[in-house]
Amino acid sequence: MTAIPLESALWYKKGVDLLTVSVTARESAGEPYTLVEITGEADVTNTEELRRLLDDEVSQQPRTLIIDMSGLRFMDSSALHALLRANRSLDRQGGVLALVSPQPAVAKILRLTTADRLIPVFASVADAAAG
Amino acid sequence: MSYGYTTDLAAVRTVVYRYAKQAGLPEHRAIDLVLAVSEVAANTVRHTKSPGSLKIWYDTKEIVCQIQDEGTIHDPLAGQRKPSVDAMGGHGLWIVHQVCDEVEMQSDEVGTTIRLHMNLPRIRPGS
Repeated sequence: MTAIPLESALWYKKGVDLLTVSVTARESAGEPYTLVEITGEADVTNTEELRRLLDDEVSQQPRTLIIDMSGLRFMDSSALHALLRANRSLDRQGGVLALVSPQPAVAKILRLTTADRLIPVFASVADAAAG
Repeated sequence: MSYGYTTDLAAVRTVVYRYAKQAGLPEHRAIDLVLAVSEVAANTVRHTKSPGSLKIWYDTKEIVCQIQDEGTIHDPLAGQRKPSVDAMGGHGLWIVHQVCDEVEMQSDEVGTTIRLHMNLPRIRPGS
């Protein structure tokens, strides 16, 4: 499957793009799952945008929302809350959130807060899609 | 070293990581310190309108990051109780307490000073 970027958002901070969030597949467009790729660093200064984008995707009621974190170098607790919020909303509407390939710093905060027991973490998008 | 910040937390993390490695902190502990400092600095961004300042120093035993801002933390036990995993707040300072070897916190109406200590390994990697 060739993933074509449907939507991309960039936030610039002093000329450096800190966080990029792209939706590369959507259930509503006939794909088997919705795939969001988060790249860069997610912290309190860009959580609002992350939350808004996740809200938009969740509102389309996908059964499986996969977040590919392989390009995410850092995530703080406010970005984690955006994920927990998406997880809670999906859970209420019968959907599932899955995380893929967190780097060490991201895996650490997921483990510390035990969020990785609430949201399943997979090694690849294929694994996450297979559940 | 001394470093002022407003909202550029990525730059704060870069500085902390560089000094942590320079001081001889192993990679996984450097990641912990970066996370802790970023969480404290995030509170500055979230709760104050004035800039924060970061000071870093180290000797052979430990590296210390001191974060000062004009905010006030009213709960002296802030961060010492684990919030429920799906709580929509309160994880930041708890994480700080989990990953650092020692956390000192002083807060009054004038501002808050938080010192994060990380012990350095006795034998430095590669030496």
